[in-house]
Amino acid sequence: MLKDITFGQYFESASIIHKIDPRIKIVLMIAIIVLIFTSGNFFALFLSTFFIITTLLLSKVPFKMYIKNMKAILPVLIFTAIINLFYGEGASLFPDIPVLSHITFEGLYRSVFMALRILLLIFVSSVLTYTTTPNDLTDAIERLLSPLKYLGLKNAVHTLAMMMTIALRFIPTLIEEAEKIMNAQKARGADLESGGLVERVKALIPILIPLLISSVRRASELAEAMECRCYNGGEGKTRLKQMHLKKLDYLCLIVFVFYSFAVILTNIIF
Amino acid sequence: MSILQVKNLTHSYNGNTPFVNDAVSNVSFAVEKGEILGIIGHTGSGKSTLVQHLNGLLKPTDGQILFENEDIWKNPKEIRKIRSKIGLVFQYPEYQLFEETVFSDIAFGPKNMGLSDDELDKRVKEICEIVGVKPEYLQKSPFDLSGGEKRRVAIAGVMAMRPEIIVFDEPTAGLDPKGRDNIIKIIKDYRKAFNATVIIISHSMEDMALLADKLLVMNKGNLEMFDTVDNVFSQGDKLREIGLNVPIVTRVFNKLKALGVDVNENVFTVTDAVNELKRIKAGDGNA
Repeated sequence: MLKDITFGQYFESASIIHKIDPRIKIVLMIAIIVLIFTSGNFFALFLSTFFIITTLLLSKVPFKMYIKNMKAILPVLIFTAIINLFYGEGASLFPDIPVLSHITFEGLYRSVFMALRILLLIFVSSVLTYTTTPNDLTDAIERLLSPLKYLGLKNAVHTLAMMMTIALRFIPTLIEEAEKIMNAQKARGADLESGGLVERVKALIPILIPLLISSVRRASELAEAMECRCYNGGEGKTRLKQMHLKKLDYLCLIVFVFYSFAVILTNIIF
Repeated sequence: MSILQVKNLTHSYNGNTPFVNDAVSNVSFAVEKGEILGIIGHTGSGKSTLVQHLNGLLKPTDGQILFENEDIWKNPKEIRKIRSKIGLVFQYPEYQLFEETVFSDIAFGPKNMGLSDDELDKRVKEICEIVGVKPEYLQKSPFDLSGGEKRRVAIAGVMAMRPEIIVFDEPTAGLDPKGRDNIIKIIKDYRKAFNATVIIISHSMEDMALLADKLLVMNKGNLEMFDTVDNVFSQGDKLREIGLNVPIVTRVFNKLKALGVDVNENVFTVTDAVNELKRIKAGDGNA
């Protein structure tokens, strides 16, 4: 049951989206989000929809994977849509029906607009996490933030990236450890499956305490091991995997520039 | 009557995916009451998966486990009762300690069985005598103890449920020689006190020679041998083929035999070796 937890939802596939430099992907994702938020009308939003759907198809990740991500955020989506539906200004669409009389054309418009916007945001971020391994992501973040070292934050960026990498690395280990401890306590007759909420939370104590203790132990062992290998932060460290921008990345940027111009133009015209 | 019977046990991980993998396949054996059964096998041979079936932590993909002639999965809701009758001590059991005091940690298992406070008190004290935990330790935090003491407290936590069968997964791993002897003595004492049946997984052939009545050899998920200690350890070549070996003293006597000394090769413990050497010496004197 614990094995079902997936973290970092990388989906292996040989698409061109997978091959794009992770730095480009992160920057473009942020840029697309900005474009989506600054789009004031449906024409601009439709352009983004078209662009994003194309990316989804190019990513060769099964569409149901994207739907799965969408389901998780569905309550937020519905909530936003309903709130917007009832708080629009203007003339009522159904003046005679008690509750529905609050619904106006503007409200309906905004409601659909907001829902589409959220949907697009989820799809964009899903493309990034499905096509980039967690390690590539942290690596790219470290490099993107590296200019911060000129602001006197010399080690902070590297430390942050290292922390993220270690955290990701230890998730499977912790899951395995949790499973072992659960089995050990079950062998001592611990009941993890039945009882009310309070009992179930109490039943977690015999699992959480050993897990916490072993995490602290692991952390200090890891720190010692890293020191033994002369780890002293990011300074002077070279990399096994170098990131270089390739033709594909430039092509990607060019396509994006065209798309963003189109969005900006539609925003001005309509 | 066998107290525990395993019939055609098969366990596959990732059952409905292309990565289907039989961790244990078609294993059958029976354990008699009061016996000590040793399980040996190379890393990844399926020993740990096998023993996790015995108390119902894993459900067999195929096959049955009978405890006192009844399928342990006959009534899935009662599986926790089975777990108190067939105790399982995991590898490095000290990592599962969690209570504030040694007393409450040992009492965790029996408490889950629904015993009264008086009975808990009695059981904890009784088991502490067997594992050698001093009464003044009972109110200490288990995290203040040494490694060997923690291990003993953790083992006591399972023993306090008074299981009729107790299964150990590498009980002596990571201990110094004294700690190792200590654990072996505890296992023997528990068995004597409660007429219990014991199943032990170990990589130490020496421990097995000292403890076990019978040996079960696992190889790649299959049962390779299931026989008395003498019969298993007399097949050194076969054991070496699957990444195991015979005890060191046995290897010494194999070498002596190969060098032309007339010795009995069925020597598995240091005591056996001393006796055999005395016998030879006496024989030489006569010749």
